[in-house]
Amino acid sequence: MKKSHIIGIIIIAVAIGAILSTLYDSSTYADFSEAFSNEGKEYHVVGKLDKDKEMQYNPESNADLFSFWMVDNNGQERHVQLHKAKPQDFERSEQIVLIGKAQGDDFHAREILMKCPSKYNDANGDKFLSPDEMKEIDQEKKRSAAL
Amino acid sequence: MDITYVGERLWAGALGNSFVVIGFTTALLATIAYTLGAKNNDPVWKRIGRIAFHTHGLTIFGIVGMLLFMLTNHMFEYHYVWQHSNSEMPMRYVFSSFWEGQEGSTILWLFWHAVIGNILIFTSGKWEQPVMAVFSSAQVFLLSMLLGIFFFDSRIGSNPFTVLLREHPDFMNLPLFNSPNYMDTLDGSGLNPLLQNYWMTIHPPTLFLGFASTLVPFSYAIAGLWKRNYQEWLKPALPWTFFGIGILGIGILMGGAWAYESLNFGGFWAWDPVENASLVPWLTFVGAGHLMLIQKNKGTSLLWVYILSTLTFFLILYSTFLTKSGVLGETSVHAFTDLGLSGQLVIIFAFYGLLSIGMIIWRAKDMPKKKEDPLWSREFWLFIGSLVLLISSFQITFSTSIPVWNKLFGLDLAPPADPEAHYNKWQLPFAIIIGIIIGFAQYLNYKRTDFKVFIRNVLRDMIFALLLTIGIGLGVGIGNSLYLLMLFSGLYAVIGNLSYLIKVFRGKIPKAGSTIAHIGFGLLLVGALISMGGQKIISQNTTRYDISTIDSTYKNNENILLMLDDTVRMSDYNVIYRGKEKEGIYVYYNVDYLNKNNEKEFTLRPFIQLNDRMGNVAEPSTKHYWNKDIFTHLTYAVIEDRKVQKEEYHEPDEHHINIGDTIYASNAIIILKGIRGISDPEKKASYNLGDQDLLVEGELVVYDFDTEMHVVHPHFAAIGTRAVSFPDVIDKIGLKIDLFEIDPQAEKIGIKVFEAKNKVKDFVIMKASVFPYINVLWVGALVMFFGTIIAIINRIQQQRKS
Repeated sequence: MKKSHIIGIIIIAVAIGAILSTLYDSSTYADFSEAFSNEGKEYHVVGKLDKDKEMQYNPESNADLFSFWMVDNNGQERHVQLHKAKPQDFERSEQIVLIGKAQGDDFHAREILMKCPSKYNDANGDKFLSPDEMKEIDQEKKRSAAL
Repeated sequence: MDITYVGERLWAGALGNSFVVIGFTTALLATIAYTLGAKNNDPVWKRIGRIAFHTHGLTIFGIVGMLLFMLTNHMFEYHYVWQHSNSEMPMRYVFSSFWEGQEGSTILWLFWHAVIGNILIFTSGKWEQPVMAVFSSAQVFLLSMLLGIFFFDSRIGSNPFTVLLREHPDFMNLPLFNSPNYMDTLDGSGLNPLLQNYWMTIHPPTLFLGFASTLVPFSYAIAGLWKRNYQEWLKPALPWTFFGIGILGIGILMGGAWAYESLNFGGFWAWDPVENASLVPWLTFVGAGHLMLIQKNKGTSLLWVYILSTLTFFLILYSTFLTKSGVLGETSVHAFTDLGLSGQLVIIFAFYGLLSIGMIIWRAKDMPKKKEDPLWSREFWLFIGSLVLLISSFQITFSTSIPVWNKLFGLDLAPPADPEAHYNKWQLPFAIIIGIIIGFAQYLNYKRTDFKVFIRNVLRDMIFALLLTIGIGLGVGIGNSLYLLMLFSGLYAVIGNLSYLIKVFRGKIPKAGSTIAHIGFGLLLVGALISMGGQKIISQNTTRYDISTIDSTYKNNENILLMLDDTVRMSDYNVIYRGKEKEGIYVYYNVDYLNKNNEKEFTLRPFIQLNDRMGNVAEPSTKHYWNKDIFTHLTYAVIEDRKVQKEEYHEPDEHHINIGDTIYASNAIIILKGIRGISDPEKKASYNLGDQDLLVEGELVVYDFDTEMHVVHPHFAAIGTRAVSFPDVIDKIGLKIDLFEIDPQAEKIGIKVFEAKNKVKDFVIMKASVFPYINVLWVGALVMFFGTIIAIINRIQQQRKS
């Protein structure tokens, strides 16, 4: 067998391995009912923050625990324990993606992605301000500059 | 509506737009003329092509100039200017707003193409016509992204010059535009404050220069296939290729440095889809460059040269598609929003994809075939290295494209939950192989190698690298065996090339450009590995609550709570949060770092940018030492000041004491220093007292538990027979002290101490980590860049001589 054939076979094997590993590592998006019927398995769950229910964060006792209620895309609501510090601007989030697993009555998230008005492409960039609003912001800026 | 608007400067847009139209037509003309002329090397077509491309270059400069002019003159009637700037923005950010948007970044790309194309016309000699034909076609496609015209109901391009704000579909119905004088009140929406940053000024142009330079080897490669001249194009294309590798590499690393400095993910590389999209073409570009070297010297890897050099340009287009089509959506922080041009982008890369594949297949039979290189030749291992780069880029592309697979096949896959682990698992082994090949390949001769000498050299370097690996591994504390292998591989790459530089080149720098570049690359691998592998999160959750009891995967004890003015132990430091300061749109949180003897070493000021458009953004602060960085960022902080309210005090404690006596409060020690009568009428008046009224000022010294001293002056007044007191407050520790009674008979002074109910002081939650030896990474990047430049200069000089 020629060297090039051996190399070719190795390349193909590695490429297939890469594809399989990607499929294996990529989790699936799911809703709460699926996550709670498979306790302990990791899922991405997409949903929205329930702003009317209590959010608990006691950094004095544990800076790495934050709990809140989230409604998934099917309308099911669950109590979520996030094992991280409360994200900045959490209340402003439009959509949340949780990465974690169900355990008992709670969903334990180890990672959270928020779709805020995004960082770089600012979805709100096209928000139009009336001249009055702009004046208000200007004054605010001047006030804060004076501080 | 027939409103005659006042103050709009419509001529500017018209001028800019005519540049776009002329630029497009001349690029098209250049493409056609060069294509027709290339067949028979026709001088007339060549002349036309040249004139067309020179004109095209001028119009591109015109477009750039016009957009800059509109931005500097605040022409907010134009949507692009309105969206990306405002009148308050400092002028030094004008370039940032220039390329903040998609249209601007396309113009930047066009600009570099125009510069490079005009250089090529003068330097490519007999290759001019076929090369420029391919080259100009790219300008046609890119400029079509700026046309902004409708063609059978589908929009082609997005034009930054013609879209007036009042005609923009999102805004046209706003009542504001009923006023013919709307220009008087209009201000722009402004540049994203996150991008008001010097990196934003230098990173995009460098990156796009790198992007643009991939078009040169691509054009030469296609021209070679076309003219059935498979060998000669390599010589003029090689300097451009390595120029592009150097620039693109530096551009990518600038992005990394920017991310490290101002983003919160704590590192210079996060495997973000957009980062990946620029890294992947660099990998194939490096592979292509090295294969071109083999082909030039030995002529044994022609097919792969074609595959990698065309693939590189294709991947540049693909990366543009990923970032500009909006397909990445939520998976990346960098992606642009969709402008509805994804169809057009698909057409562009389908065109070049099919062109490349078609040309290669068409000419495959015709290409000269050579025997394989022997196993122990430099070429063979350069070839293996290039293939490893190709597989590595395949793996990254496949995983990054998950959103694309979802769209194409209707899947619902989420990207890997832990991207770092996913990519490292694959990319570390690839990098290990590359590092080792870099270390020994130089010692292989271009023909057969004297095996004994080779083994002796390699063994010596390897033993040296091994010893260093053990030393550094123990010193920094790297336990992971894959990391240790990577460290060894990087160190071996450095040492192998260093010894080659000394032994073979005997330090002759001008000839040793590639060896120096490889030393730099090795240092870069070593720096990346040590700083990331040896990274230590030094902020620990100090509560007893153990979250790992829930599940062993939850070990996010990375955050530390710092109460105002409390000293907290953190690794080798004592840290104190000293409060916040507001400067403009930034709120800084000062954190003092003290050494073990409680002497202040430095202050870090992580901050939050108040950003009314995108939400507030926390940015880190880093202390740089030559051998390590201490990186801190806020994970939670309160922006407003907490004020102690009057109602929020507990019932006071009453004390009747003498001067010099001490009162103990729950969080402070209070000593009454003395009292004195005040006769100054002005001072009395400030308490609404008349001249005959009595005013007494008490002086008390308060020591809090941080042994900080506060002095308070409560006042007591007697208006006739009525006693009034004016307490004094120490906000910081929530104490109010009231001098309420003076009893001359008992010689006692009555003091009330109020303690605030809500004594929750200001606090921040912070994450801190140490990145050891990260400077090795940056030094490596610079060494690699300068090595590449030396190699290019040497190559050009050799070409001149021959």
